[in-house]
Amino acid sequence: MSYQVDEKDGYAVVRLTGEVDLNHSPEARRVILDCLQKQMPLLVDLSSVDYIDSSGVASLVEGYQLSRSRQLDFGLIGVSDAAMNVLRLARLDKVFPIYASLEARLKDTR
Amino acid sequence: MSAPAMDTLKPTELPAPPQEAIRLVHACTQEGVDARDLGDIICRDPTLAAELLRVANSAYFGFASEIGSIPRAVTVIGQKALRNLVLCLAMRDALRAEQLPAFPVEQFWEAALRRAVCARCLAGLVDLDAEACFTVGLLQDFGLLVMFHLMQHRISEWRRLHEATPDARLELERQLFQTNHEQVGQQLARNWNLPTELVIAMGMHHAGAPANTPAATVQLCRVAECADWMAAVFSAEDKRLAVRECRRLLDEHFGITVEQCDGLLDQVAGHMQEAAIAFGFQVGAQPEFGEVLRQANMCLLEENLSFQEMNWQLEQILRERDRVAAELARELELAREVQRSLLPAEGGETRGVVGLNLSAREVSGDFYDFYRLRTGQVAFCIADVSGKGMNAAMLMAKTSSLYRCLGKSILDPSRLLAMLNREILETSIRGMFVTMSAGIFDPESRRVCLANAGHLPSVVMHGRRLVREYPADAPPLGIVAEAEFPSVDFCLEDHSLYLYTDGLLEARLAGGRRLEREGLLELLARHSDAAPVERLQHIVAAVRGDSGVMDDDLTLLMIEG
Repeated sequence: MSYQVDEKDGYAVVRLTGEVDLNHSPEARRVILDCLQKQMPLLVDLSSVDYIDSSGVASLVEGYQLSRSRQLDFGLIGVSDAAMNVLRLARLDKVFPIYASLEARLKDTR
Repeated sequence: MSAPAMDTLKPTELPAPPQEAIRLVHACTQEGVDARDLGDIICRDPTLAAELLRVANSAYFGFASEIGSIPRAVTVIGQKALRNLVLCLAMRDALRAEQLPAFPVEQFWEAALRRAVCARCLAGLVDLDAEACFTVGLLQDFGLLVMFHLMQHRISEWRRLHEATPDARLELERQLFQTNHEQVGQQLARNWNLPTELVIAMGMHHAGAPANTPAATVQLCRVAECADWMAAVFSAEDKRLAVRECRRLLDEHFGITVEQCDGLLDQVAGHMQEAAIAFGFQVGAQPEFGEVLRQANMCLLEENLSFQEMNWQLEQILRERDRVAAELARELELAREVQRSLLPAEGGETRGVVGLNLSAREVSGDFYDFYRLRTGQVAFCIADVSGKGMNAAMLMAKTSSLYRCLGKSILDPSRLLAMLNREILETSIRGMFVTMSAGIFDPESRRVCLANAGHLPSVVMHGRRLVREYPADAPPLGIVAEAEFPSVDFCLEDHSLYLYTDGLLEARLAGGRRLEREGLLELLARHSDAAPVERLQHIVAAVRGDSGVMDDDLTLLMIEG
């Protein structure tokens, strides 16, 4: 797994790439929580994730919960099919706010 | 005076050559010059003449009868030895003590004399010209004196340089002066127009003579290098290193044995006194080699002792580590036992319900449970805690206990999961969650009521045929407080209901391929004729392979309609 953090339109955008598995999810968790610690609204870009396991999902859940407690906007964007299958199976697609892209998030009035 | 750039010394910055002495040195090597001519040159400098006579009559040369005149001295000593003698005297006087007021010049010359004496002793053993070797030994570090003369603010560093071993001294010089005594010495030797073999020996006794150097000059460089280390045995702080390197070098360059080397070092103290008197140097009491060796061995003994102590400490730490590891292993075993006690007895069956759990680690995040209710129905569940290790195991223990406790009074799986969700959310660590399928099976009516919180789909099979799947209709427990957990109600008829954790789908078949959903359905179909407990065992055997190593916990629960 690799990651990239960009700031755009007031959002931190964390782009995860590759396999977010038990070996790599601690890194994903750290980068997600780091952004939220800086009080930045966060979008996690999963468009290049080929595989995500429950530990990777747990990192997203932790980010989601922390953002709620801090009243920061949090969402997933461009979720790949592989990641979407995992989220759907666990019905987490109904929990995480999911958008096609950052632009789609900005247009959304939620 | 300001410090000059030491790598580009101008002739004017170097001590001036003593003209009479240099003329004599060259005359000594010219053909056709006889003892009388040399005597005439010497007599032009009465101070030099007196000095020569004094040295010639000293115990250093040890001639039987007294030498009364300069021409006689020249004849007895020989032209070559005379040349060296003159050079030594000229160098000795080239920089007078008053030119280096704060510098312990006597200490410098004592160290130089020791190198000279060492070189002369060595020459005797390996059959080289004793006076030539003595001269090189005396002059080889003269460059250092020049450097101190030019950079007197460095004088305080003398002791460090003096007590360093030769190689360390050379490095230290580079740091302090941006040059070293070889380079400065060589420049001086050239400037004074000294014989070529001396220019090379003074300038390359550390670096080694270049290719095509005459064999005798190469030997002279080696003598200088060895003499440096022999002298370091007496002056260096690390005497053990000096003795070791000295023995190694003498063997390498001259095939000298350890006993021979020690024998040479034994002679040094005695010869030092002789040579000091002959050349008019002030030297302190000379330590005997035996005493030096004893001190070095004492240091070795102390080092060995502290090494032994370190070993003991290390052993103690290792013992402590093993003890902690054993304790941890015991604690983990206890934790595992507690976890096992939270699962139904292995191979146990309650009215058509069987289950199986294998953990990849000492403790597991998976669990399943089933028990018979007062109504005759069977309550069952399967769950997987996110994450691995002790925190997952503890959340598993908490969730399974809650399930056991609440499940006996709350018979509606929807309400039960909602209650568990709230309990877990109240106290759980952020980011941890539990996927769970929970249900009630009525063996009489064969009806099943099932709710799924983010868990993998439950599978209903009829023999080899997939009837349908029941995927999650709600998120895992422990994520959102307001979540609802709808249940489904269906008749199992004579079908089989399978619940499993992701460890089963991700387990690898022989050949390394993951089982995945299709593989599981195929396995379930293949073993559909086996009795319930055996069926589960067949499935586990297929994914466990020969090594038995698993990446993840694996749990499987089956209900026979």
